Amino acid sequence: MRDDSRKWDAPPDDSQPLTGMGMTVARVWPTRQLLISAPDVLARMPGAGWPDVVTGAPYTLCLRRDRVLEVDGPAREEGWDGVQAVTDVSDAYAVFRIEGPQALALCRRGTEVSLARPSRSVARQMFGLSAFLYPWENEERFCLHVPRAHAQALWQMLAAHMGQMQRSA
Amino acid sequence: MTGRRTESGGLIDRGTTLRFRFDGRAYTGHPGDTLASALLANGVRVLGRSFKYHRPRGVWGAWFDDPNAIFDVALEGNEIPNCPATTTPLVEGMEARVVNAWPSARRDVKGGLDLLHRWLGAGFYYKTFIWPDWHLFEPSIRRMAGLGALDGKEIPDYVADQIHDACDLLVVGGGAAGLAAARAAAEAGQDVVLVEDHPELGGGLYRSGESVEGKARAEWVTEQGATIAKNGGRILTGTTAFGVYDHGLVGLATERGFARAPRLTRMRARRVVMATGALDRPMTFADNDRPGVMSLQAAAEYLTRYGVLVGRRIAVLSNNSAGEAAIEALRAAGAEVTEADPGAGPIRALGGKRLSGVRMGEKRLECDTLLVSSGLTPVVHLWRHAGGKLDWSDEKSAFVPGAAPQGMMAIGAANGTFDLEPALAEARAAALGKPAAPTGNSYSIRPLWPEPGTKGRQWIDFQHDVTLKDVELAARENYISVEHLKRYTTLGMAGDQGKTSNMAGLAAMAAIQGKPIPEVGTTTFRPPFVPVPLELYHGARRGQLLNPLKRLVLEPQHRQAGAALGEYGGWLRPGWYGPKPADQAVRDEVLMARKTAGIFDGSPLGKIEVMGPDAEAFVNFIYYNTIATLQPGHIRYGFMLTESGAIYDDGVIARLGPERFVISCSSAHVDGVEAMLESWRQDGNDPDRLFVHDATQHWATVTVTGPKAREIVGALGLPLDLTRAAFPHMTLRESDFAGSPLRVARVSFTGDVSFELSLRATKAADLWTALIDAGAQHDAGPIGIEALSVLRAEKGFIVVGKDTDGETMPQDLGFGIPRLKKKSAFVGDRGLHTEAANDPNRRQLVGLTAPEGSPTLPTGAHLVTGDRPRSEGIITSSYFSPTLDRPIALALLERGAARQGETVTVWHMGQVRTATVAPPCALDPEGGRLDA
Repeated sequence: MRDDSRKWDAPPDDSQPLTGMGMTVARVWPTRQLLISAPDVLARMPGAGWPDVVTGAPYTLCLRRDRVLEVDGPAREEGWDGVQAVTDVSDAYAVFRIEGPQALALCRRGTEVSLARPSRSVARQMFGLSAFLYPWENEERFCLHVPRAHAQALWQMLAAHMGQMQRSA
Repeated sequence: MTGRRTESGGLIDRGTTLRFRFDGRAYTGHPGDTLASALLANGVRVLGRSFKYHRPRGVWGAWFDDPNAIFDVALEGNEIPNCPATTTPLVEGMEARVVNAWPSARRDVKGGLDLLHRWLGAGFYYKTFIWPDWHLFEPSIRRMAGLGALDGKEIPDYVADQIHDACDLLVVGGGAAGLAAARAAAEAGQDVVLVEDHPELGGGLYRSGESVEGKARAEWVTEQGATIAKNGGRILTGTTAFGVYDHGLVGLATERGFARAPRLTRMRARRVVMATGALDRPMTFADNDRPGVMSLQAAAEYLTRYGVLVGRRIAVLSNNSAGEAAIEALRAAGAEVTEADPGAGPIRALGGKRLSGVRMGEKRLECDTLLVSSGLTPVVHLWRHAGGKLDWSDEKSAFVPGAAPQGMMAIGAANGTFDLEPALAEARAAALGKPAAPTGNSYSIRPLWPEPGTKGRQWIDFQHDVTLKDVELAARENYISVEHLKRYTTLGMAGDQGKTSNMAGLAAMAAIQGKPIPEVGTTTFRPPFVPVPLELYHGARRGQLLNPLKRLVLEPQHRQAGAALGEYGGWLRPGWYGPKPADQAVRDEVLMARKTAGIFDGSPLGKIEVMGPDAEAFVNFIYYNTIATLQPGHIRYGFMLTESGAIYDDGVIARLGPERFVISCSSAHVDGVEAMLESWRQDGNDPDRLFVHDATQHWATVTVTGPKAREIVGALGLPLDLTRAAFPHMTLRESDFAGSPLRVARVSFTGDVSFELSLRATKAADLWTALIDAGAQHDAGPIGIEALSVLRAEKGFIVVGKDTDGETMPQDLGFGIPRLKKKSAFVGDRGLHTEAANDPNRRQLVGLTAPEGSPTLPTGAHLVTGDRPRSEGIITSSYFSPTLDRPIALALLERGAARQGETVTVWHMGQVRTATVAPPCALDPEGGRLDA
């Protein structure tokens, strides 16, 4: 039995954005996130892949050949409705928005990503965490979803890398 | 002193003088110098001591191939150990000190060890210091061994920048071939990245002839660089490609200055062109390690890059045609150069710390510097990292790139193309992915390899003091594989990783065995190509970010309540609450939970949904237990097994609807269980009729457990009938709390009445606060995972992975019926019917009681039997039960179920005690508290 409380920082105040290098990293709170799976889901709800630029709401993100994440869409009955499986995961993923001319450079510190190299899915590993990454509104703004329990780790990682970018500049 | 700075030439800035110290003495140099070039320019010859014999050493090479000159360097309060002098740029104010010598490289008090060399051959430490005990000698040997030492101080902001990048073509090496390839590719519109480890482009071009394609070398280099940049190519100087990994990933380390961590670029290249050049091989002869014996190529490099003439009276021993330009340049710089025939007789270098000459047979040649070249070895490390093959070339007496790894081509000297014009043609073709047309080759070489049985101490590995006699000894002791030779003698394991020693070593072994060199083969080439700081791989992943834990949404509430947080199954969770000592806090929480109620954050418990027309059949297949008969709104406990029948996870599964289940697996196993479900979904099942969604982190779960649980949950005012009759154990109700969907499950991990309440994470704080407030009315409060562990152990409930091992099967825990009666197939079925599964001596779960008044039994202790003790089992969990006021324990014991009441011997770290075998459940075996 060991008390390691002091080894781990208390959760940061992520209501205040991180800023630096002309960038802003802010946590945002979508109204709803739904996992929708079905054999034909991409035919019915073609989700954005990388580097499709997502605009407005609602929108869907392609996670894999039979699964999308619907963001800020309408409420749907959960479970299997004979066509698709739906699960509310609104609180399962923390969402961050990275904005600024260096936004892509910051993302590239955590993952191998290039606007010139497309992917059908927005799912990838970023800073060693499972993540959904996609451009939002333009190619200097990116949205990033990570499992909620790793939100703090991502926040700290982004802060660390922004600091490194400043020191390296 | 023989080396000196030339009046002109080189890439250094003679207009600026830099002051530095080496071994306490002051020297000067210029921007563009390395520590080694500056010291050579000051006439310093002894720049190091060898690892074992402390022999004086000068530099052999001019760049990454030098094994001798290694310094601890300090600047502005920061000290870096083990800096290669030949690759460390000179900075004003540097304090360099030789490693492995005291007080200086020139006068090392341990130099006398060389007199003992007859007793210190390869592997001597395997054969000596055995009696009376190796550990008596070990501390002093360890103190003597090793090179530089860490000073223990942390360098501020020494953090590696890490980025990912991608390109169409990565050209490694900014010499003539690399520049030509990068330019051709850039002009063809490719996204090109060119990396060069020197601060300037040009590579080995400066030490070759006067002009390139009709232009002066510097002009040609500048033009290539400018054209590459103009066409969008990127040039990274000071950057080493240190390793090639899977799928074209190349690790690049970019220097950022002294005491600044390099930058790591993980470069994903569609194609890699390797233009890494070739190195001069040392020649193996008696006393070939004397200061003043140097690579011919290095001498040319010092002259043309750094403006340093390494000697005045120079003898050259070369068996090949590659050094002709170097010899011309040395003569032009004013040196008296004598070319000698290396085949004229046995060679011996003469002198001590200062070379006085060389003897060849009966002939003696006076000289202060002996430059040698026994042939060029293409630098093929990256090629081998990528899985490329090597072919032996008799014509070039070297291994050259053979069958290419996917996406990689070798050009120039790295490909064995040592002539400039063919190398440029080859480079331009490679840039476009084409092979070059075969051309002639002016390079000629007369093979010259180590000759076993010859006299004198002939060095193979300079840094590690491996001699030809060591290789012969290894062969006599049957370490004839090059991999065994390497490990027995440490040949090739020095800081230069065999760049100078491997060829001579394997050639010697080939000669000893009478085999051709290619039959002996090479050792494995592994990254990194040059030493890089561990920090390069580290970057921002340090401290809490090294392995970040999952964090609870209720962590602020737990901290406010004084929780002692710790890692449990990858999550940061409350172990206990309050300022009391841990044992006392846990004891109080257990007693509170048994008396009134405990409130527990169970959020990490899995909530994996399985949905679709085949969901029922799937979960019935996944679980050991029969799940198909589970009705909506009901819950069942069950096991998931591996294919071999061992327990992988236990937990409950709830049915929310005809085609919808929720699996609540162990907290630490959620990711693994989800992966396992996905794996089986796509293997043997129809993935279009079955879907798995992990919603664990959408939910927070708060458990209220204890005799007052019903009252506390009732205080929430939920629209639910919580009575025993209306809401029995192992059922689930869906409700709402403050407008959010709420799942309430009647499951218990304590044996007391329990309610598990799950709602979306962002609403959890309100629920937690409401339950804590309601609990306070009944003297109930939060409990941590340590108290829960005791509560469950009192009931004999297991934790998978703690109370089970990789062989435990359900029947070992008393769950044998599905194994015998379940008719449909399930994962692990076959494994449960093997001979091992039916072994009557299987270890089975039991409880243990200790004699009255004795302390808690040690977890991990063996349960032994017989005069010569044999372990029959192991204690898996052991606690002092506050409820029962006595120690309790769970164990896996051979035939345990049939040994109730038997006294067993408990052995732990030499201590022997006794315990009595009992049922696992120590509290309320009738289960009356569950529905109280």
